[in-house]
Amino acid sequence: MPVEQFEDESINKGSKKPSESDMLYYYKRLLPFRQIFQWLSHSPKPTKDFTFREFAYEHRSGAYQRYNSYTSLEDFKQTVINANPTRFEIGAVYKINPKDRKNLPKSVMKPVSKELVFDIDLTDYDDIRTCCQGTDICCKCWKFIQVGSKIIEFSLRQDFGFQHLIWVFSGRRGAHCWISDIRARNLDENSRRSIVEYLDILGKNGNKKSIKKPYHPHIERSFEILKNEFNNIVLTDQDPWFTDSTMSSDSKNWKCVDDLLSFIPNKELSKELKSKWQKDIHSTSKDKWEDINTIASKVLKSKSEVNYLNDAKKDIIIYFMYPRLDIEVSRQIIHLLKSPFCIHPGTGNVCVPFNPFKNISDNKEDDEYGFNPLNSPNIRDIQNELENYNKGNNELHDWEKTSLKPYIEYFSHFVNELTKEELKKRSRDNENENNLEF
Amino acid sequence: MFRQVKRRTAGRRNFEESNNKKLDYDLPKLYSCRLSFYDLPPTREITLEEFEKWAIDRLKILIEIESCNARSKSLKEIESSIRGLLLKYLPLSENQNIEERMKDHYSHYILRLVFCRTEELRKKFIKNETILFKVRYNSLQPREQQEFIELNKYKLSSWEYVTPQEKSELFDKLFASSYLMLKSHFLSGGENLTYDEVKQHVLIKENFIKLPFEKITNLVGTRSIYLHNGYGYLPTSLQLNLLSIEFQENLSLQLMKTFQTIPRLEEDDRLLPLLNNLSKSFSSFKYDTEMDPALISDINATSITSNSISKHFPLCAKHLQNNLIANSHLKYGGRQQLGLFLKGIGLNVDEAIKYWSHQFTKGGSMTVDTFNKEYKYNIRHQYGLEGARINYKPWDCSTILSKPRPNKNEYHGCPYRDFSIDKLVSSLNSMGINDQQELNSIVDDVGRHDYTIACTRVFELTHKSQIKNSQDSHINHPNLYFDRSRLLERGQNKEA
Ligand SMILES: [Zn+2]
Repeated sequence: MPVEQFEDESINKGSKKPSESDMLYYYKRLLPFRQIFQWLSHSPKPTKDFTFREFAYEHRSGAYQRYNSYTSLEDFKQTVINANPTRFEIGAVYKINPKDRKNLPKSVMKPVSKELVFDIDLTDYDDIRTCCQGTDICCKCWKFIQVGSKIIEFSLRQDFGFQHLIWVFSGRRGAHCWISDIRARNLDENSRRSIVEYLDILGKNGNKKSIKKPYHPHIERSFEILKNEFNNIVLTDQDPWFTDSTMSSDSKNWKCVDDLLSFIPNKELSKELKSKWQKDIHSTSKDKWEDINTIASKVLKSKSEVNYLNDAKKDIIIYFMYPRLDIEVSRQIIHLLKSPFCIHPGTGNVCVPFNPFKNISDNKEDDEYGFNPLNSPNIRDIQNELENYNKGNNELHDWEKTSLKPYIEYFSHFVNELTKEELKKRSRDNENENNLEF
Repeated sequence: MFRQVKRRTAGRRNFEESNNKKLDYDLPKLYSCRLSFYDLPPTREITLEEFEKWAIDRLKILIEIESCNARSKSLKEIESSIRGLLLKYLPLSENQNIEERMKDHYSHYILRLVFCRTEELRKKFIKNETILFKVRYNSLQPREQQEFIELNKYKLSSWEYVTPQEKSELFDKLFASSYLMLKSHFLSGGENLTYDEVKQHVLIKENFIKLPFEKITNLVGTRSIYLHNGYGYLPTSLQLNLLSIEFQENLSLQLMKTFQTIPRLEEDDRLLPLLNNLSKSFSSFKYDTEMDPALISDINATSITSNSISKHFPLCAKHLQNNLIANSHLKYGGRQQLGLFLKGIGLNVDEAIKYWSHQFTKGGSMTVDTFNKEYKYNIRHQYGLEGARINYKPWDCSTILSKPRPNKNEYHGCPYRDFSIDKLVSSLNSMGINDQQELNSIVDDVGRHDYTIACTRVFELTHKSQIKNSQDSHINHPNLYFDRSRLLERGQNKEA
């Protein structure tokens, strides 16, 4: 079940698509197999968490091959090189080795654990994005992902107490979050569903019903984050409610305006606003946002009406900026997701991990964005970087000679922290067992 | 008597296997709290009479709960509806009354055998037992509630009490998270609290427990609790929900296990019919007519057609009598149904003969002689004075509903089932029910084939001013309708 499909070439310049030999080069020299292996094994050695884990390949032909598994790091690396897929995906840990499933009854093929994962994708923001549509992205709309990932991360850490989570660029227009805490890996589907539902405050297809008051602390905290970005991201960058006298009433902008007005709880106020904006020759989103207050002070009579409007304005900010989640990706234990550090087959971008709070690329230009998807490592660039590296330092890994370096270091740190805790836990468990025995 | 040994083995094996492991415990521990998750199966012998009696007594309570439930009564209303029944049939007093606790314990396990056999019965049983569990939990002293939780620690090990200091630090968040759920919790109990009242309540009365969020996923998904660091914070008022989920899941699991062992029970030829009977009687519970001579002194051949008596008739009896009066005749089914009903309200055999003979002959189309020849015997028969001399009992609703439907010119049966909607509504209008919403709710009941529920609703609506607290219960017998109506009237007259 590939999460992202191949795009047709008219949108993506053919040159961006990595070739078979590009991929082979990348798997042989650059992809950090060891780090991925240790991340999934929760140990420097192979454990069942790794050996009973499902991997799937997407082949150049479009064929999708499930239920691969590996016995060791070497097996992992060699088999991927031999298969040379356009990408590989990570699935669940099963009760048995997925390879053995053919000889055994179906019922034993039960998923035991998997990282909890989240997927945010910019295509879900097309109703508010004005800078790009569909598969295109730019730094402006990436800010939605940026702020969305912050909100999700705060909740996962503070509300659910998870510690080992990492965000990964999906290679084009979205991001995945992997939560590797043992408690998260062992969640059943019911619990996974409840977590996504907890986080998915807009509900299916962005429910426009007003959010219940008082706001739940998670919503309140999210609002506090969003309200600081609203001016910048929505009113300035996207300006979705801009209208001028040349626009016809069925243009996308006017539809967005009607969308905005549908939140206004007072009928008279929303009528007044619309008729004012229809007369305006040139009115930006910022103008309109201010108009709401100005007109409201004339139209609204009671304190409670003002309160309702203020609530509605909070709802608007949340509605247009709160992250939109793919529920199925998170709920299903068996769902497969592209591995970090794979190459996006359409763009050639490396699916690098990133920190939503801080730029790690070593490039000052990106600091403003935290992570800048437009400057992120691409398979062509890093090949060139490696080929042109001529300091002759043989002690370095190949990836250390490329712009992948900060990302792999960031990932290694994450994996080491996770492994440390797993080892601690394992030795604790062993001790307890020994105590029982003697 | 009967073979004690066989009965014991049959029951015991089933109970034990349903729990799947060998159990070692003694009575005081088993009955140390009056509320129970019923984790341990009974092992002591009981007689077949006890077996049946205890099961029936518990059944009476579950039936009442079922009926309240069908009329969407709140938990509070159910509590007051079954309080009396509980005291009578299944008391559980605070003092260590082993007999009572044993009866509760055994009757629960016997009914597991009765109700495990179909999906539908299992669902009903779980639903009603869970409500009973809630009602009883609420009636415990706070001290006992804590003891109960303490006693079941092994199930609820992850519960942790939030300190007053933590509560006051987190107060705003705890309140914002739980407000909506607490508000609806009180609403379902009939209390409509304002925002500030709920706040006061949380501040003063609520204690919180925290537990791993995996235990309360339904509350996580709806954002109904405060979450911090992997723990959900649950207010005391809602802890019962959690307990009852535990109870429900447990029971559902156990019922399936019992179901799987049932075939072996069929070896005992005396238990099976008994169990069959019990499950049947769940849907048609018999109403016992007990007559107090002082209360029937005003029942005679002429008074029963007067408004002061007939106003207490349920619609089916009214309909029969009206047509008897109008046509000076009733066909066999109608004579049976009305005759036994009248017998049930206290009309003695002589008055009955007087009544029927007058009605049949008043139009002039029948002579008293013909009546005496053709119909008198029939009436004496109803009173057990002829033929097999069986003392026939008035038909209950399920008997009425099980008979063939009335054909043209027949008037027996249940009007809620047999009338067209228009005819039903105009009958209801003439009983004083005119509110469209009320009419709709009755028509809805009828649409769901819940005829006795419709009738009970009509009773409640037509006695609104007299019913003080909802101590009433489900009406499944025309005579119950009549008796209750008269009782309410007497209560009112006494007060006046
Ligand atoms: Zn863009």
